[in-house]
Amino acid sequence: MKELTCIVCPRGCTLCITGEGENLQVSGNACKRGEAFAMAEMLRPMRTICTTVRTVFPAAPVLPVRLSQEIPKDRIFDVMQEIKKITLDHAVGRGDVIIENVLGLAADVISESDLLRHIERRDEDGRCAGSDL
Amino acid sequence: MKQMDVTVIGGGPAGLAAAISACKNGAATLLVEREARLGGILKQCIHDGFGVVRFGEKLSGPEYAERFIDELEKTDCEVRTLTFVTAVKQRAGGFEVHLVSRDGVETVFSKTLVLATGCRERTAKQVAIHGTRPAGVFTAGTAQHFTNLLGELPTRKCVILGSGDIGLIMARRLTLEGAAVVGVYEAKSTPSGLTRNIHQCLHDYDIPLYLSHTVTRVFGEDRLTAVEVSQVDEHMRPLPGTEEIIDCDALILSVGLIPENELAETLGVELSPATKGPVCDGQMMSMADGIFSCGNALHVNDLVDYVSESGEAAGKYAAIYTGGQRQLLDVACTNDFLYVVPQKLNLSADNSETAVYFRSREIVNDCRLVLQIDGREVFSKKYRFLRPPEMEKLTIDFSKYDLHPDSEICLRLEVARV
Amino acid sequence: MNRIERINQKLKKRFGDAVRCEEREGCRYMTGTLASWQDVVAACEMAADKYSRVHVVNDIQCREATPRPPRLPSLRDQALEGDTPDVLIVGGGISGVSIARELSKWKLNILLVEKEADLALQASGRNDGEVHPGIDLGKGSLKHYYIRRANAMYGRVCEELDVPFRRVGQYVCFEKGYLKPLVGLYCAWRKYHDGIEDTRLISKKELRMREPNFSEDFRFAISNPSSGCVCPYGLTIAYAENAVMNGARVSLNTAVLAMEVQNGEIVSVQTNRGTVYPRLVINAAGVFADDLAAMAGDRFFSIHPRRGTNSILDTKAGHLMHSIASIKEISLQKTHSKGGGILHTVHDNLLVGPDAVETWEKEDTATRRQSIETVFAKQKKTMPRLSQGDIITYFTGVRAPTFEEDFIIEPGRKTKNIIHCAGIQSPGLTTAPAVALDIEQMALAFLRQQKPVEKNEAYNPKRKGIPVLREMSDEKRSELIRQNPDYGVIVCRCEEISKGEILDALRSPIVVPTVDGIKKRVRPGMGRCQGGFCSPLVASIIAEEMDIPLSQVRKSSAESVVTYGKIGG
Repeated sequence: MKELTCIVCPRGCTLCITGEGENLQVSGNACKRGEAFAMAEMLRPMRTICTTVRTVFPAAPVLPVRLSQEIPKDRIFDVMQEIKKITLDHAVGRGDVIIENVLGLAADVISESDLLRHIERRDEDGRCAGSDL
Repeated sequence: MKQMDVTVIGGGPAGLAAAISACKNGAATLLVEREARLGGILKQCIHDGFGVVRFGEKLSGPEYAERFIDELEKTDCEVRTLTFVTAVKQRAGGFEVHLVSRDGVETVFSKTLVLATGCRERTAKQVAIHGTRPAGVFTAGTAQHFTNLLGELPTRKCVILGSGDIGLIMARRLTLEGAAVVGVYEAKSTPSGLTRNIHQCLHDYDIPLYLSHTVTRVFGEDRLTAVEVSQVDEHMRPLPGTEEIIDCDALILSVGLIPENELAETLGVELSPATKGPVCDGQMMSMADGIFSCGNALHVNDLVDYVSESGEAAGKYAAIYTGGQRQLLDVACTNDFLYVVPQKLNLSADNSETAVYFRSREIVNDCRLVLQIDGREVFSKKYRFLRPPEMEKLTIDFSKYDLHPDSEICLRLEVARV
Repeated sequence: MNRIERINQKLKKRFGDAVRCEEREGCRYMTGTLASWQDVVAACEMAADKYSRVHVVNDIQCREATPRPPRLPSLRDQALEGDTPDVLIVGGGISGVSIARELSKWKLNILLVEKEADLALQASGRNDGEVHPGIDLGKGSLKHYYIRRANAMYGRVCEELDVPFRRVGQYVCFEKGYLKPLVGLYCAWRKYHDGIEDTRLISKKELRMREPNFSEDFRFAISNPSSGCVCPYGLTIAYAENAVMNGARVSLNTAVLAMEVQNGEIVSVQTNRGTVYPRLVINAAGVFADDLAAMAGDRFFSIHPRRGTNSILDTKAGHLMHSIASIKEISLQKTHSKGGGILHTVHDNLLVGPDAVETWEKEDTATRRQSIETVFAKQKKTMPRLSQGDIITYFTGVRAPTFEEDFIIEPGRKTKNIIHCAGIQSPGLTTAPAVALDIEQMALAFLRQQKPVEKNEAYNPKRKGIPVLREMSDEKRSELIRQNPDYGVIVCRCEEISKGEILDALRSPIVVPTVDGIKKRVRPGMGRCQGGFCSPLVASIIAEEMDIPLSQVRKSSAESVVTYGKIGG
């Protein structure tokens, strides 16, 4: 038996999962969505990653990135390793793909921000580089 | 002196929404931001989950902010970044706003002000942590700044005090970057953060959460070397004899946010002891005429979607503000609530779509919120649960209740008897 | 029966045969074994005569007290090896730096060493900054000898050094009306006999007019308008900068480890940065002054550390009072120094405290909840509106008193080339400017025995501080920003500190490129968010200006790592 707190809605039901393999029973849920959540969590939990990649730009040493879609939870650290290999040397825009189909998991690593574009613009304006001041 | 209709102070999510909406309502608008980039704290909130209410999408903080920045760029709003408001002075028909930037000191006259100054984090000393003063005591926001904006690891092995959302998010973030999070300690007997974050930030990474525990002391002369944690009683006082020393190199605090209203205070704006933000009416106007408030400066929100919403309202009402006498009624609430915003209704204004934000004081299940006017129940809504960490929002049409200057408005909660 | 026999009789009555006092060479040596440190202090106090120059030297073994060796810098180099200063000043607190500055009037090779990463990191940076009037001091003590002269010097010294100073006045308040005649007599005695000329008794009405938020229970107060406040570490840094401008050298992270003494003369001084060969050593080592004296073969006094904790309140509470105040309660308990008070600082915060707790640990500056609560319980009697909710930070300092509770300002007794400036506790910050002048004379007298000392013709007593933009008019501020746009970039929102001011601190005469060093000089992080917003920015500016990676920036000491390097990779 395993207990899970349901996160589908803020009610936070305590779900009880019993059974083996694909044959699971869920109790404690107040709605259908809770059951689906429990099944997914038990059989194939999926997660996204939000992190940063290094850049060569002093004014933005890192750029926030995320996955375009969820990946299996147990692959999070594998994907993190891939992301850590990157050092961006050119400006990218929000939504631009930085790693395509990372580890063949059907998810892309994409930029969360136009930050680098902004810095490029600012540098053209002659504003101070370096720290964000 | 430059003349503006609306000056928005603060370029975070509240200020961005306010500036856009003020422009859309035809006001000559100035947005002042002290940092180099717009977006406020969202710039460093790289995790997702923003915008579910507003966009039906799970966006990251930068993505959410940049959608608004893109929209702002389409307006005629005048934006000043790296610009700091040093003082605001009340003048006939408006305010004199003193700005400092690389260009010097400038004074701008503005008919109205929107205060979107956000909030700051409670510090170690404000939660009575004692001991030495080593490096390695960070608020979660500071640790987040180092990690997500500067790309620097602030700890290798840390204890997190407080189960606020930023603390939980940072627990996961630091774990992903290879730091060990020994545990999250929470003085209250229930978590402060959202259940989703407890699940996905702590459980996913096997980070323990210790309720009814607090950090009582820090050790280390140079860098922090350990913390002392203790169990606490129901009044959150440490229990002698329960002390435990935990070796770590950092203490990260997520122990609450305080709305920043120092500027408002210099203008004599009345603050609510419950929200620590200005007392306001349904148009987000504070008790000082022409001064509007929104976002986390008004009250600490847990969802940015509502921050933007209050910013939009404040921007709009600031833009269409024409002065005139207000007829204010109290929106009272029983002790079942931590607070209700707005605290006042202006009878001279349109109250047909008033957004009411509230938090319950305690966890309550299966309850009924009742709006009472002059002792009569005029509206009610059932809730299966209400929790202090989760702010609720209601839209109420007060115009249909025939309010008069002596009306008594009161919100209360009825809990179903088991 | 002589004094020593009487002391031993008293000791025997209280401690049996556990401790003994013996007088030798003008000192009272205490020997024996006691369990608790409080008893050690009590025994030594029994043997001490207040203000006497016959000092108690404590050799009592204490089972509870396991003194830790002083914290030493990790730095090891040879930067000072073979250095031959005329004067080596040990200690970068207010005493050491003020002596350095006064001596810099002369063509002398002056070297000041401080073991910490910055100046004023011990008692001089951990006190309330009051410039005392001396109302609690009677004739006969060195404290009294210096207090009025020094107090009167403050206006000029602070003007020369460009340090804010305000004469805000002090009130010692009384609740018991029937004490008024007695206190009146006390005041008259102080005023006419002890020369504390500004002493006055004021009525309840006058007190309430001046400080309306004080307790309604106060019946009268002793007023001393000459009392003032100064930023204690600001003054220390300013003195040191002026000394450096005039040719003195300051070496931080430099600890004295040992001395070679031959025939009553210090030949060399070993530090972690090499061995130095000074003509004269000045002992301004604070809580370690007795240890330094012992190293120099001139041990004739003992320091018994006394901890005090102060709280700093938000500037929002600053309007509650504008002076320095304390409540005087007549009690049977023996109390040391001032029992704490409330002070409106030059930065418009309120400062509440300190308490006084005896400790064997010379560097235990950890704060304790109990201290804050005790102090607030007392100070709320002075001002009921005082609230712990307004606390933005708190800190503990350790005073360095002798058992005679007076200063030691004199040349060595056994060792020729040392001058002691020891036993400095309250009002040591106040007296420092006057004490420094006397020590200057003592030093000159000694040095002139060997060869004449010439005037430093280039001496300039004026030091220009870093501009404080938030206090300027819009016009003045604009003008400065035009010259340097970085003055227009606000980094610390609470204290309104610009990038330009931070860069000025990083280019000042004594650069301390740490987060705390900058904080002490130009105040980013001193406000209500305590650096929550600005500390990453300040660290970034330091890294950029010093051209080091962020992970090399320190909070204070070399080991106080802020971040552990780049994430990822």
